[in-house]
Amino acid sequence: MSGRGQVRFDGIVKMHGEFAALKGVTFDIEPGEFFALLGPSGSGKSTTLRILAGLDAPSAGRVFIDGQDITAADACDRDIAMVFQSYALYPHMTVYENIAFPLEMAKMSKAEIAPAVREAARKVAIEHLLERKPGQLSGGQQQRCALARAIVRKARLFLLDEPLSNLDAKLRLETRTELKKLQRSLGVTAVYVTHDQEEAMTLADRMAVFMAGEIQQIGRPADVFAKPNSIDVAAFIGSPPMNLIPARYKDGGVEIAGRRLETGLKEAGERNVVAGIRPGAVRIAAGGIPAVVELVEDLGDTAILDLDCSGISIRARVSDGDVPSEGAALSITARPADIHLFDATTRRRL
Amino acid sequence: MTARRFRIIATLAITLLFLLAWAFPILWSVLNSLKTDSDVLAYPPKLFFTPTLEPYRDVLFGSASILPNLVSSFVISIGTTIITMLMAVPAAYALARLRFRGKKFAGFYVLATQMLPPVGIIIPYFLILRNIGWIDTYQGIILIYLSFSLPFAIWLLVSYFEDIPFEMEEAAYLDGASRMKTLRRIIIPQVRGGIAVTVVFVFLNAWNEFLFAVVLSGNTVRPVTVAMFNFVSVEQTLWAKLAAVSVLAMLPVVILGVVAQKNIVKGLTVGAVKGGGRR
Repeated sequence: MSGRGQVRFDGIVKMHGEFAALKGVTFDIEPGEFFALLGPSGSGKSTTLRILAGLDAPSAGRVFIDGQDITAADACDRDIAMVFQSYALYPHMTVYENIAFPLEMAKMSKAEIAPAVREAARKVAIEHLLERKPGQLSGGQQQRCALARAIVRKARLFLLDEPLSNLDAKLRLETRTELKKLQRSLGVTAVYVTHDQEEAMTLADRMAVFMAGEIQQIGRPADVFAKPNSIDVAAFIGSPPMNLIPARYKDGGVEIAGRRLETGLKEAGERNVVAGIRPGAVRIAAGGIPAVVELVEDLGDTAILDLDCSGISIRARVSDGDVPSEGAALSITARPADIHLFDATTRRRL
Repeated sequence: MTARRFRIIATLAITLLFLLAWAFPILWSVLNSLKTDSDVLAYPPKLFFTPTLEPYRDVLFGSASILPNLVSSFVISIGTTIITMLMAVPAAYALARLRFRGKKFAGFYVLATQMLPPVGIIIPYFLILRNIGWIDTYQGIILIYLSFSLPFAIWLLVSYFEDIPFEMEEAAYLDGASRMKTLRRIIIPQVRGGIAVTVVFVFLNAWNEFLFAVVLSGNTVRPVTVAMFNFVSVEQTLWAKLAAVSVLAMLPVVILGVVAQKNIVKGLTVGAVKGGGRR
């Protein structure tokens, strides 16, 4: 594969003494792709990004960018731009000087730097703040300044380490959209680290789900959501998370709370499984599993119901139109295609 | 009188007492440096007198002028400060940031040198300097001053470097800066306050130093702290001149303090609030 910003991680291991932070991570990123590294704290996603940036060295394995082995290259020689979670703006420099810094390091002339800085600032709408110091900017403006500093150099790879986590909820949503537009307009390869699955789902072309130093699944966000390949991924992706119910599988159906639900799996035999049903896939219909509404969380357009199904807790998302009241008895079911089955021992998808 | 009022008055009285105790020697020096010798010795002491600049004229331009001694003090203090800072800044950065074998020991060694009683090492220093012929030379005194100013400066600067977040440095590397360029362009400008504080302390320590100076100096290089004693002899003490020299010796300290005050306060407060820089 040729092209600018192509990444290959080949069997990367990172040890901290006896502890393995990464246990042989392998993945490819295509040029121009928005690739998210998603996972809970301590899963190894930030370590992966730092190894890619050249800020940490792997204990084993190799890193390639555009087909070139850069495992031993210094960070300053990798032609990679990065936006840090804390923005890491240089407090003693003005916004202009901050954005100009990577160009100065690339030994560009002042005449070349000035228009490039203004252009980068214009793209993130901070042209009017160029003379200010970072301390005089709001959180959102600082974040834009960090973005401008990253895009000004037209690096071959653009790394973002939870860049939205320090913004308030409203600004985070706005910036998320702008970030995606910016990446598309620039056509750069972006690697984005986040623990927020909603961010990864909305921004990424593809994502890798990290758990305990390993990649559990790589794919398009919609595919990972639709077909999580393990119980851990299923539990991590989706809000509220998928209902995971220990059940007995028998000849194409599962038995939950004494009632049989048909599944998409057409396999003869009997085994212990974990059945996964997303809250949004739970349907209120007659002839299903009897349930009692324990709690209603009204979110405005939808509501989350906490249901007690003969001792099994299930959460359901219903639209605003048909919200039952707390204490109401009802019957729930799910379409066969909406029931995910996982092996109770290996935790893998069946 | 209410209890609160009494407390305020008591606090004020105690504060005033301490202030007087500290300010009295300075006040004494300033007043006596403006008197004639007979006014200094008058009993009861004269609070009201005709001020004269005669003592200053004598000590600066008279036969026992202390101008060469002031020059010596400046050369020693400025030399010590420049060499100390040139070596302490990279050393403190290395101790704060780099991972290397023996880092802990190096850090402890720097601190341990501060615990030695100076009087215990003065004789070995004297013998070393005498053997290499550096007694009564600038390089000899500066070398010995470095032995205590350098560890002190490193120890002071390390905390300022530690306060700078790692990410700032990493951002600079990714922006294409080498380690040296990062140090020069990103790190040092941010520890300016700390560097100013250290410069002031190193300069003042060198300027005020007496014990080593009196042993290691001679007739060629004699700093003002030692030269003051020209005015104290077995027969008499020339109080007015001694006071004038004291005031002159204090002047650079006061000027430096006033000039660097803003930076010192900033440097001290920045150093006091620990950031998230440690890892």
